[in-house]
Amino acid sequence: MRVANERWLDALSGEYLLGTLRGAARRRFERALREEPRVAQRLKYWQGIFTPRYSKMVEVQPSQQSWSRLERSLGLARYRTPWYRSAGFWRGWAAATTAALVLGVSFQMFRPEPQLAAPIEIARLAGKAGEPVVVAALSKDQRTLELRAARAVQAGPQQSYELWLIPAEGGSAISIAVLGSLDARFAVPAAQVGRLRAGAKLAVSVEPAGGSPTGTATGPVLWIGEIQT
Amino acid sequence: MLDDQEIKRLILRVAARDEGSADAFERLYKACAPLLLGIAQRLLHRRELAEEVLHDGFSTIWRLAETFDPLAPQPVAWMVAIVRNRAIDVVSSAHASRVDSYHDTPDDNPDGVLDKLFEWGAGPDDAEDNRRAVQWLRGCLAKLKAAERQALVLAYERGLSHGDLASHLQAPLGTVKTWVRRGMENLKACIESCMGAAR
Repeated sequence: MRVANERWLDALSGEYLLGTLRGAARRRFERALREEPRVAQRLKYWQGIFTPRYSKMVEVQPSQQSWSRLERSLGLARYRTPWYRSAGFWRGWAAATTAALVLGVSFQMFRPEPQLAAPIEIARLAGKAGEPVVVAALSKDQRTLELRAARAVQAGPQQSYELWLIPAEGGSAISIAVLGSLDARFAVPAAQVGRLRAGAKLAVSVEPAGGSPTGTATGPVLWIGEIQT
Repeated sequence: MLDDQEIKRLILRVAARDEGSADAFERLYKACAPLLLGIAQRLLHRRELAEEVLHDGFSTIWRLAETFDPLAPQPVAWMVAIVRNRAIDVVSSAHASRVDSYHDTPDDNPDGVLDKLFEWGAGPDDAEDNRRAVQWLRGCLAKLKAAERQALVLAYERGLSHGDLASHLQAPLGTVKTWVRRGMENLKACIESCMGAAR
């Protein structure tokens, strides 16, 4: 659309904002908005003049399903902070450990021989040059794994670390955990309990936030080490 | 409703498309969906259509967040424009029947509508420019001829087309078009003279 003169452009911009520009004329104007910077500029000027602000009186609560439908249709799960990295989780975790500690302490007062279940080091994962060694330790019941890095290792904002088990007998790597940092303590997936044995290897790869989309490592392996127990 | 700075921050976080984007989008939705749904419903007069427009509108907000201008004075206006445009598309498509709009008679007293449904006081975090623009708009609307003001308010707030306005106001189509056109021209001239005087 070649908008012939300023006056016409003003009339169109005003009626577009108001909503009375309809049908083919509206579509032509919207095309011109995209194609002719002069038109977009004029509309912006008009918006500066005519942008009434609605009051709260207008508000209507959307239906219950409305948000979940939107969330599904846009696939928002990909853009969520993973649960183990959210502040809420860590607050909850801190509260839980504090409570556990208090409970544990009071419990221990009644127990003559406290059993300290210190995790047992099972592997040292060597990183690329310059990266610190990461120590993996397994709880006595083999259900909880801990990673400790010599210094903080934090994934980038759009990345996660993924820990893989490469079985001693061969076969494809099995995902054990998706992590934001290599200082972590987490449950070993039930199916893998008892499989973290000597000869198997642990490896850490860099993946998109939330972990590998394919189920196998897609990014480079940055740490690897053999289980030694 | 969150303040403008917070809304701006949320839109920019949505645009970043990182792992905080969905949370930011959810907060934006919680804060703004009631207003946007209310606007859509006033334009469409039907709840289920308004919910559809809200859904499409927020999908567009998600998609276009990266084109949002962080210097825009009113971030909510950016979202309102997206939803209004979508609602007007739906209204003007043949599928949306306008019959029921007259059961729900628009308030014919434009000043009542203006003061009830719009906010003319300054927001707590309003920049001086915003504050003045809002006052000028209200003052200049008041100076319009009654017929012009009524046509503009009904068109903007109820989504009435020229044809709807003509039948609702029982005036010839040509007359109504003139009210709308002159109304917008006079409004602009009045606000520009306020701007000139303020300089």
